[in-house]
Amino acid sequence: MSVLLDHLPELWQGLVVTLQLTAASFLGAAVLGVVVTALRVSPVRVLRAIGTAYVETFQNLPLLVLLVLAFFGLPEIGVKAEPLTTAIVVISVYEAAYVGEALRSGVNSVSKGQGEAARAIGLTFTQSLRHVILPQALRTVVQPLGNIAIALIMNTALAGAVSIVELTTAAKNVNLVEAQPIPIFVGAGIAYALLAALVGLVTGRLERRLVILR
Amino acid sequence: MCMKKMIAVVAVALLGLAACGEADNAAVPGPSKTGKDVIGKAPVAAASDILPGSTMEKIKSRGELLVGGSLDAPLLSQQNPATGEVEGFDATMGKALAKYIIGEPKVKIVNSASETREALLANGTVDVVFQTYTITEERAKQVAFAGPYYTSGLTIAVKQGTSGIAKPEDLNGKKVIAGANTPAIPAIKKLAPQAEIVTFGSDPECLQALKQDRGVAYVQDETLLIAAAQKDPAIQIVTKPFTVDPYGIGLKHGDEQMKKFVNDWLGKIQADGTWQQIWKDSIGTVVQGDAPQPPKIGSVPGS
Repeated sequence: MSVLLDHLPELWQGLVVTLQLTAASFLGAAVLGVVVTALRVSPVRVLRAIGTAYVETFQNLPLLVLLVLAFFGLPEIGVKAEPLTTAIVVISVYEAAYVGEALRSGVNSVSKGQGEAARAIGLTFTQSLRHVILPQALRTVVQPLGNIAIALIMNTALAGAVSIVELTTAAKNVNLVEAQPIPIFVGAGIAYALLAALVGLVTGRLERRLVILR
Repeated sequence: MCMKKMIAVVAVALLGLAACGEADNAAVPGPSKTGKDVIGKAPVAAASDILPGSTMEKIKSRGELLVGGSLDAPLLSQQNPATGEVEGFDATMGKALAKYIIGEPKVKIVNSASETREALLANGTVDVVFQTYTITEERAKQVAFAGPYYTSGLTIAVKQGTSGIAKPEDLNGKKVIAGANTPAIPAIKKLAPQAEIVTFGSDPECLQALKQDRGVAYVQDETLLIAAAQKDPAIQIVTKPFTVDPYGIGLKHGDEQMKKFVNDWLGKIQADGTWQQIWKDSIGTVVQGDAPQPPKIGSVPGS
């Protein structure tokens, strides 16, 4: 146990980076995910195709491959960003495919009549999506989004591959000196579990408050 | 009809490729061949050395030595993708030890990592660890170390033409690349506390990062950097090794019998030239000159 207390500053710093990655990437994924959903349910065939291609591409490639490819590949064509920025962008882009699919299932759960009524009173496609469909769609996908957020927290550990010292990497570095993997990784694991539990708690609350009684 | 034709063409092309691959393998003898020669001559323990009830006896009756090691460490323990054999200094040492105990070089390498090897030894998943396992007093509280069996040191590489870096202290205030889970991390923290360390999982990634200016210097084991600088003229080594890293053979904590047995084996293979030949076949392929003097067994605190 004392090994955790001795290295608390380094581990804490790692946790802070994990939280930064999580918050920024989830925000990015949410914004991009809405765009992807809009493309996927759009009445224009080309846009739908683009949306499908996006989802298929990013859901079918491992995040680690995308991270390493972006980090080492993009500088070769002159695009170079700070490691943290690169990681946030890549994780956002990747998770957006999942957020987009969750949202789309929400959109599909909104009855067809809602969309038709919205169009009938003169709203445009974007307006009907924004004011009528998405607010109802979001309520039904709170839990899936929470699951994506939890998966995203765990996925941030992969950012260690591109030099970011988040919680897992910080734990590895401490273990390198102390050679006590069990207490160190159990400690890091508990921190992840607490974060995931927190997300679960929040989504549970949100779901109950936002429930639609049909 | 057309589809069938295409499939036929693709199938023929693939067969052709496969045939090529095989031909290439036969034409180019790999380093594994020389590795086997060394093992052929390596000693086998006398039956009286395998004490009843000991770890050695357990390994012998199992017929296989379980070695914790890497599959991605060039020159030390790297899996050859063509043959599937694990080659290098550490890998061959493992085979030699297996032959000493069992009579045959039967080894199963368990791909361990810096974060798991203490646990793997403690719970008996592996019998020994050959993995550039630097002997330290902290680690010696968790595992037993036979050896040291090899000494290496860290040095600094930069991009050709970089100035202002000649010694570890020059790294202060700069971005420094190091391999994740390598002894370079604590070494840099100690000698250049103001350096910002960026880590990557593998040696090729670190080199790529150095070339892409993700850091001004790359701290790594001398052997690996010599090999890298020979392959790539864009990389330059700027100092002699500035640390002494004695590598030990990791054993279960408290197993004095096994430790003495492995130390005796080390002494034997160093005296009869097996150790030197293993060095020549691996590290000696990039480092010029004769094999160095092996470190004195038990000469390091923790061993």
